[in-house]
Amino acid sequence: MSETFSAALAHGARFSDIYFEHTITNTITMEEGIVKEAEKKIHHGAGVRAVRDESAGYAYVEDITPQRLVDAAAISSSITDSVATKNPKKLETVEYTDRYPVRELTTTAPLKKKIAWIEEAEKAAKSYDIHVKKVTVSLIDQLSYIQIATSEGRLLRDVRPLMRIIVTVVAEKGGNRQMGISSGGGRIGTEYFLERSSPAHHGREAARQAVLLLDAVNAPAGPMELILSPAESGILLHESVGHPLEADFIRKGTSAYTGRIGDKVASELVTVIDDGTVENDRGALNFDDEGSLSSRTVLIEKGILKGYMHDLISASYFKTAPTGNGRRESYMYPPIPRMTVTYLANGRSDPEEIMKSTKKGIYCKSFLGGQVDISNGDFVFSPIEAYLVEDGEIKVPVKNLTIIGNGPDVLSKVTMVGNDFALSDGRWTCGKGQNVPVGVGLPTLKISQVTIGGSSIQ
Amino acid sequence: MDDFKRIAEKAVHTAKKHGAETVEVAVTESVEFEVLVRKSKIENLTEATSRRIDITVSVDKKRASVTSSDLSEESIEELIVSALEICSIMDRDEYYALPDEDELGTADGDLEMFDEETTRIATAEKIRLATEIEDTALSLDSRIISDGGFFSNSTQRIVIANSLGFCDGYKKTSNSLGVSCAVDEAEGSGENTAKKQSSYWYSAAVSFKWLEPAEEVAREAVKRTLRKLGARKPKTQKIPIVFDNTTASSFLAHIASAVNGGNIYRRESFLVDKIGSEVASSNITIIDDPLLKGRLGSRPFDSEGVRSRVNTVIEKGILKTYLMNSYQARKLGKKTTGNAGEHSNLYIKPGSYTQSDIIASIDSGLLLTFLSGPGANTTTGDFSQGAQGIWIEKGELTYPVDEFTIASTFQEMLEGITMVGDDIDWRRTISSPTIKIDQITISGL
Repeated sequence: MSETFSAALAHGARFSDIYFEHTITNTITMEEGIVKEAEKKIHHGAGVRAVRDESAGYAYVEDITPQRLVDAAAISSSITDSVATKNPKKLETVEYTDRYPVRELTTTAPLKKKIAWIEEAEKAAKSYDIHVKKVTVSLIDQLSYIQIATSEGRLLRDVRPLMRIIVTVVAEKGGNRQMGISSGGGRIGTEYFLERSSPAHHGREAARQAVLLLDAVNAPAGPMELILSPAESGILLHESVGHPLEADFIRKGTSAYTGRIGDKVASELVTVIDDGTVENDRGALNFDDEGSLSSRTVLIEKGILKGYMHDLISASYFKTAPTGNGRRESYMYPPIPRMTVTYLANGRSDPEEIMKSTKKGIYCKSFLGGQVDISNGDFVFSPIEAYLVEDGEIKVPVKNLTIIGNGPDVLSKVTMVGNDFALSDGRWTCGKGQNVPVGVGLPTLKISQVTIGGSSIQ
Repeated sequence: MDDFKRIAEKAVHTAKKHGAETVEVAVTESVEFEVLVRKSKIENLTEATSRRIDITVSVDKKRASVTSSDLSEESIEELIVSALEICSIMDRDEYYALPDEDELGTADGDLEMFDEETTRIATAEKIRLATEIEDTALSLDSRIISDGGFFSNSTQRIVIANSLGFCDGYKKTSNSLGVSCAVDEAEGSGENTAKKQSSYWYSAAVSFKWLEPAEEVAREAVKRTLRKLGARKPKTQKIPIVFDNTTASSFLAHIASAVNGGNIYRRESFLVDKIGSEVASSNITIIDDPLLKGRLGSRPFDSEGVRSRVNTVIEKGILKTYLMNSYQARKLGKKTTGNAGEHSNLYIKPGSYTQSDIIASIDSGLLLTFLSGPGANTTTGDFSQGAQGIWIEKGELTYPVDEFTIASTFQEMLEGITMVGDDIDWRRTISSPTIKIDQITISGL
């Protein structure tokens, strides 16, 4: 590897790393009552990066030989055209704590067992209600072998398990068609089904949502109160402050949170943390994809902006320690700052009190996902399961709504935080040009006013 | 191309030898280059070649697929053996089969998907282009913060083979040049004291020489960024909305998913059981045309080796066909439309109005320039998304608007299309001109 590093550093780059990956991904899908499709993907390659200040050159190879790595290093080195100033250091293995102990890897579990879980989920969904028309169940498992070597002498090896079950249900009544989704998993083994959520639970959940929505009314349009249920609603944080606090946007000066460290950017009830060390979570990492150990990073403490999520380039730019947020989808991509497990810390309010205090608003329980414009701070998220709340009571389910807010504005309107913190059942994948698995979490939350984007004008 | 054909044919042979009854193989290679230049320095430069083999085998109508980046004979054989093992525990799917033999083939003529020059552009030239477009954007207005000028291109080789004896391939190229900009809002808004606005623009084409000049692209990016300054939040109300050709294209992308044969047989589409019905206003004709010369989605056959043909999906408002591969077609009792993989060049047939004509027809409404979020649900037809745009008053563009949503259903929106523009945007494989849709709820103040 020293020849590869020498080639990468030959024209003035100050840092280089090599990311080796071998990933096996299995997907089995049951549809229309039969185990219909199975797919096995093997992803194998290595990426070489050369870095000088904010510039990064990157090339990858799939046929990993010493010569090919040196060729890739030569391409990456082309970002500068001066002379070598750094020599690669001798590699030494870095020790770390394992954040994803696993009892039985899903990837090597017997196929028959996997099919039995899929069938269990399917059966639970099918038998839930006569209006359930279609059930699709997929079980996806992944096993990644990662090795990272850096010109600074760090050598790290990891085996990353990941699994997820997804149940999609279509329910129909008359001409009305609705959909429900339930999904979960993590960097965990098959014990997930025994200890966290059974396949039948996901089957029933997806069916319950789809059937519930058959009786939903069109959501209202306009500003009103918003109550978010624990766990899944963490998507709000991920979009509203998570992305804008990724330090590449800060370094480039394009985020609405640029230069605001020490400012009050949220209500004093709000403490936001990104933490890659949450055991067995979908967003957990022993170390990030640049070899920085995972950490717990306080982003906002009691409403005050404390820090950003860094990769090596931004940490060096801001002369601060890396936070373990340099991530990539695979060897085909250079790393960039990304979230791991992002959550809002527990508060003191009784969730029932939060509900009772609401005059007119929307209560959200599960979500399709969200998106943010990091420059102006506008973010959206779309619920699947949501209800109209009037005078402290949950009324009818509502459908077809997107909620829009402005990050700093919405976080200043957090008026109550519940004492019922929970993490999301691992189902989220974040897309920022590259897809990576992430975790989210929060307790029940009340926002005094936000724009509910339904189609029904009151 | 011959090297890939040999690999594909060998894989078909090996799978048959091990007992596969049907075999489908795709061998693809992608040579990718991308450079982002910010503040006149390379922010990121990536260059690489990736290869893939995809194999699907079946025995007794039970199937399994495998994919790998390792094209060596030993590795391919090992994969095939593991695929056949998986097959044995799958359920029988009586609808699974290869396409009918007479559907297989290569469309005649040169589709102009490949540009030799694209493969020869020197790295230094690509860096220069990205640097130049950033410089131009910065020189146009001193308030502009650069988020980088970029150039990227790729060359792909694709070979498809199956156990019916089909084996053919093609090459395609694409190029893209653009720039991303941001600008500070002088006042911020409320708690958002460091509020900014950002936008970008790019040109994309099969041939390098077809790219628009850097200056034009930079001018558009800067214009789109600056015109967002001082955006206000609009009132909640029902208004006519003009989708510019970028937001109209993203609307059309959802229609692509709603007419996809897989979503139809799974009943995950609001267009289930609607063939022959009026599903849109008579102003709307939607075509999928893989045979257009020199477009980014052109191809001589689909990923099953089925010969390309033109499909009119919606003709003057009437739903004519879904876009299907052979399996989906069999499930629906129809014939393949040559859409294995996905749509090709899917587009709304342009009308005769300019965007200004369309804007001029509106007394009070908005020009929609940006849509966000996952709230477009083609299973139910529900549509609710975050939006940005420019307010229209008495036929003229006035001030920018943001932090609002638009909500309707796909059914109502398709029926409500009253004008179609002449300005189709061919930068993607899903292309639309500007369209006007009457009466959509916007939710803001």
